[in-house]
This record gives sequence, C-alpha cells and structure tokens, in this order.
Amino acid sequence: MDETRALPAELATIEGLQTAFRARDYVADRGLSTSVFLALALGRPLLLEGEAGVGKTQLAKTLAETLDTRLIRLQCYEGLDVTTAVYEWNYARQMLEIRLLEARGEIERATAHDIFGPQFLLKRPLLQALEATDGNAPVLLIDEIDRADEEFEAYLLEILSDFQVTIPEIGTVKAAVPPRVILTSNRTREVHDALKRRCLYHWIDYPSAAKEIEIVLARVPATPERLAGQVVGFVGRLRSTDLTKVPGVAETLDWAAALLALGARELAPALVDETLGVLLKYEEDVRRVRGATAAGYVDELAAAGV
Amino acid sequence: MTGTRAPAPDPLAAFDGTVFLKNAVLFTRALRSAGVPTDVRGALDFARALTLVEIGDRTQVHAAGATLFCRRRADLPVYDAVFDQFWRRHVARIAPAPPADDARRETKDESNAAAPGSDAERREERPSGRQGQADPATDGELDDDRAIGDGRVLSPRAFSVAEAFGHREFDRMSGAELRDAERLIDLLRPRLETRLTRRYEHHPHGRRLAPRAMFRRNVATGGDMVDWVWRRRVPRPRSIVVLCDVSGSMERHARLLLRFVQALSRASGVRTESFVFGTRLTRVTHELRGRDPDLAIRRVSETVTDWSGGTRIGESLRTFNLRWARRVLRSSGVVIVVSDGWDRGDPALVGVEVARLQRNCHRLIWLNPLAGGDGYEPLAAGMAAAYPFVDDFLPIHSLASLERLGEVLGGLGLGASGRPPRTGVPHVYRIEAAGSGRRSITAVAPRVFGLPSRAGGAWADPAAARPLVR
Repeated sequence: MDETRALPAELATIEGLQTAFRARDYVADRGLSTSVFLALALGRPLLLEGEAGVGKTQLAKTLAETLDTRLIRLQCYEGLDVTTAVYEWNYARQMLEIRLLEARGEIERATAHDIFGPQFLLKRPLLQALEATDGNAPVLLIDEIDRADEEFEAYLLEILSDFQVTIPEIGTVKAAVPPRVILTSNRTREVHDALKRRCLYHWIDYPSAAKEIEIVLARVPATPERLAGQVVGFVGRLRSTDLTKVPGVAETLDWAAALLALGARELAPALVDETLGVLLKYEEDVRRVRGATAAGYVDELAAAGV
Repeated sequence: MTGTRAPAPDPLAAFDGTVFLKNAVLFTRALRSAGVPTDVRGALDFARALTLVEIGDRTQVHAAGATLFCRRRADLPVYDAVFDQFWRRHVARIAPAPPADDARRETKDESNAAAPGSDAERREERPSGRQGQADPATDGELDDDRAIGDGRVLSPRAFSVAEAFGHREFDRMSGAELRDAERLIDLLRPRLETRLTRRYEHHPHGRRLAPRAMFRRNVATGGDMVDWVWRRRVPRPRSIVVLCDVSGSMERHARLLLRFVQALSRASGVRTESFVFGTRLTRVTHELRGRDPDLAIRRVSETVTDWSGGTRIGESLRTFNLRWARRVLRSSGVVIVVSDGWDRGDPALVGVEVARLQRNCHRLIWLNPLAGGDGYEPLAAGMAAAYPFVDDFLPIHSLASLERLGEVLGGLGLGASGRPPRTGVPHVYRIEAAGSGRRSITAVAPRVFGLPSRAGGAWADPAAARPLVR
C-alpha cells in the first residue's frame, strides 16, 4: 500500500480541495471532491465515468493546475500499443548513427550504449509520466480508456501497479514520484475488472439546476444571471425529453457562450431555434425540438418565473 | 441499553481500532453478499480512508465507501441500500434481548461508538447480520431482527426485475425430436466473419514491414537488412449482438433459438451480447454465459418476466438503441434480430428503429421462423416496415436453416479483405432421415459451420430437411 503522499496544507482536506477547484472555475460536488481527495491520499488511480460532457477531462486539467504540476495526456484508441503509449526507438537515427560510426572508422569501439542511448529514445506519455524530473508528481490523464482494447488494458494494469517500465536495452525505469492517475471512460465498453479493482471509482452525474447555473456563471462569466437561469432551465427540460443524445454540461456552456456572442440578454423562441445546433447534434432531435416544442419550453420557463 | 442516555462523550474518544476494523470488514461482507464484489483489500482501504475523512460525517463516509467499493454505476444503488441498512438506527427493540447475548450487546454498543453519524444518544445499532455471515450463536437474534426490519436480501438483479408478469417455464414439446435438435445445436461451433483490427502482429504473409523488429534482428549484421520481418493487421471475429423475440407467437421457437444463441456465445473469442424482448427488453448475456446450455436456459427463464405476452418490437428496439447500443454495439459488429414481425406496437417506429440499428452496425441479419415456407411474404406490418433495412433475411425454422445462418455469419466464406479465411479443419455433419418419422444424427466430428457437404443424404438439400418443431 502506498503511503499518504504529502499534499499542500490547503489541499489536505476535502473542503480545501473543493475550494481550490472552485477558485479555478471547476464546480465539484462533495462526492467528487471526496473521491479525488482519497485518490490523492491513498495513491490510487481514479476512474471517472459519466455521460459525455460532464467534465471528466476538465477535472484532470483542473487538478493539474491546482497541484501546480504538469498534465500528461494519453488519448486511447483501438490499437494503441506500447510503441505509441510508452516509448519507441528512433531507429532511423540509430541507423544513421551506425553509418556515421562506420564512416568515421569508430565502429569497432562502438558499444551498445552508442546506439541505444537515451538520445535515441522517443518518450511517449506513459514514460514521460514515470520520469518526473522536478520531484513534483505529474497528473497522468488516460482519456477514454474504453476505446483501447484489452491488450492495452493488461499492459496498463501492470504499469499502474508498479509504476515501472522495463526497456530491454536500457533497464527498468521506476517512477521516483508516482504520477497521479486519472482515467476516464464513456462506457462504450466495460473496462476490465482487474483494472477497475485497482482504481477508485466515481460516476459523474448531470449537476442540479442550481449547480449548473453556478458552473455557467463560473466558466462564462459575462453571462447575465437571468440568461444563465433560463439556459439551465431549458437544458434541464431537454434532458427529460426523449432525445437521441441528451446535451451535457459542455453543451450548456457552449450555448451560453453562443447566446452571449449574439448579444442576447434573455431567451426568445426565435433565438432558440437559431442556436439549437449548438445544443443538439442529431438532426431528428433538432427537428423534434425546433419550433413549437422549444417555444413551449420557453413559455414554461417564463411561467415558472425563471 | 434501551433508551438510556450516557453523558455526551466525544464518539471518537470511545474509539477502538479493532472494533473499527471489524465494522469495516462486516460492511464489506454485507456488500459482497448483496452482490457488489469486494475483497479484503477493499476493507483495509475503507478503514484507511475512514482515518482520512471525518467519521462523524455520514455523507463523507458514504462517499468514501462509494468510491472504494463501487466499480460501475449499477453498483451505486445497491451500495446506497446496504449502507443505509448497515449504519441504520433502530428506534426501539421490540423484544427484550435474552441474557445470553449480553456479551454480544456489549460489543454492539462499542460499535455504536464507532458507527458514523452516531451521536451522544446511544441507540441500538446492528450490523446487518441477517446478510448471512453472523456467527451461529446469535441466530435467535437474527430472526428477531428480521421480524423488525424488512429482511430483504439485496441483490443487483432485484433492482432491475421489478414487475411480476409471471414466470413461464418452457414447455417440453415433441420430446425426442427436441432433444435431437438440442444436441445438434450444442455441438455447433459457428465460424464467424472476421474484421481486421488496428493492431499489428508479425506474420510472414503481411504486406507491411515491421521496422522495429527488423532493425532488432539485423543489428547482428551491422544494420544491413538481411532478414525482413512482415506484419499484418490482426483479424478478429466481429462481435455479435442478438436480439431475440420471446413473445407469445415466438414461444415455440424461443427455446431452441436461445440454445443457438448460447452456442454462439460459447464460440471462442467472440464477444456476444444477448437480449430478449417481448414487451420490454432484457439483457441476458450474463445468464447465457457458461458451458452448460440447460443451466443457461433455465437462468434465462428465471430472469425474463414477460414471456408470451404481446410484442412491442419498435419500443424494444428503441430501448436498445438509446440505452444499450452505445455500450455493446460497435459499427463493426453484427446484429441478429430473431422475430416473426408480428407486433402490437407502431410499425412506423419499427421502421425508424431498425433503420437506426442498421446504420450503427456492420450487418443486420433478421431471422424469421415463419419465412421457411414457400410463398412467404412479409405481410405483418412490423415485418414489412423493417424489411427494407435488413441486410440478410433468413428463415430459422429448421436445423438446415441454422446451417445457412452459419454461412451468412461466416461472411459466405470470405474474410473481411475478400480472401478466404484460415480456420480450423472443417468437419462434416450429416443428418439422415432414418424412416419411421425419426432422424438419426451422425456426428462425424466436432462441428464447424462451413459450406454444406455434398456427400449426400438429406443434408445436401436444405429445403428437404425436416422442420425442428411441428
């Protein structure tokens, strides 16, 4: 089991962490702050699952800012393998080096180190995360782990358990300061159980209306409060509609920014119809909501006094 | 200790490490028997986590446990329920405790001190011994407790199967023939169409070079490329999603078809997801897993609750498209829908949903048990609506039709790139009509779907094979 790694004093409590996130415009609820706090304190990776656009990737970025450390991002896809994720030898340069040594007549004195030296090693994200140079543990974000295949998950499990990587030509690279790992998943596939057991887990749900207004006002600061309330109310109404793809928080923020760019101070049905493409990305959804339905929702909001 | 108030002590002052750990372990075991998989490590981590958060704050402890124990969203409600039950307060005890249990009550009072959210008022708290792991000496108390509480044993399944439409056993019909067919189906090992993934493997027939391996191998020759290494993309079978109609009209075929689905799931290396639908959609992948077909089918019949009701194809497919498609369906996968198309819902919805299903998969195969006879036309409204969006439409009334399905699944003998795939040795299966209304099954070797054998017998002409069910 890992020892509790020392955190700065203001982050040593859950409230402190939550406040620090809030100061960087990320509104985290209590459960999420607890999960992040425990992940940091116990030294375990954190697996974040949730619908699209609720702020999983954004949390990792905010965490890196809060801890004042680098963010190393590994975007997963099918077929991701050791070469792209951990390291690769720059064999073109290596071959050139051999030719140069031959040309200079030094080839007899050359050793393996001349060919397999660190100058020829291309370091990819996982190896970068293990080689923290300044003593400050970086934040390693492994994004969309559900898109990688099972072979990669097995390899990742090995790395996350020991935080070391063996490069045959050089030796074992062990992390002096283990990185803080955050994995995200969109649940297009069940992540393997062994990996899940290694991690702490948190499901990020859509925020409540009040919280979402807070998020909008934090991230799109120029939004008038009335507009923010209406935007959040409208999106909330959409989330209970039968749509192919329900808009997430990211879409809410985009819409607020779009309305602001159009100089709107409050919602009107015509405005909604124009900007619906920012919220809904499927044609049948747009067709369903545009026009009468959208107008109906705006009226409902007006009647509720939003 | 009913109702007596001790002077308000600080709960943490009465803190005993072993009791604390014991509670953590008991809670873990309660979770495990409720269906949330945990282990000893989880208990230890939980105990450690409790030293980091404020034990007095119930929400913090709840959140800490949730992040440590739950591994998927479906675990969260189960966890909530077990948490509430475990750290719940009894208002009063109904029956006085027998004196022999004083010692146990002592420990319980101590555990009150360690329970989160407990304040100065000493109320009886009970770890959920009813979950089955308490020591036998307190069985009397457990029954008492069950009378007080709701005594529900929680399991994740209980949360999903809510309505009680009523169970339905499979009827055993023409027994001998059914058994024959079942044995046949059990021996099936369908060969499945492969797709090329994005992962590479070294292979002499590859068309691309593998520079790393080549360089490594040729270091001995000083970098001169004497030994060439090729690589190719790894072929893998396409994943399969089966949506099987088990409503009233399909009831006679459902059993055998589910058996066939089970045979598909057993095929190695294939990710098969199975769903059944009638009025609602139920996922049965978990139940159909496993080596024993009978056990698998029995598990399914226990799980599904709306056998032989009406059919709502459109609604069920819509549920699949909205809730499950993103998780289980790849654009490279094959979808098999088994249904006769008779449905009570809206045919337009069927059309829309089948169209969407087709867009999201690589191939959509529709199996219809009514389509075996000559002169069948898709007249049923649901079937007619779905028909234009189907890639392969096949009858499924006889074993021979299952053979043909095998061919279709295998991509008609062609791999994804158009070259014939390399598989195991194809064996031949022969079914001969042995007269007097019975069939004899000659298994020549373990079965692989392949091109039908031309070796004669009733096998050669699929249309002449006898139907599975009368």
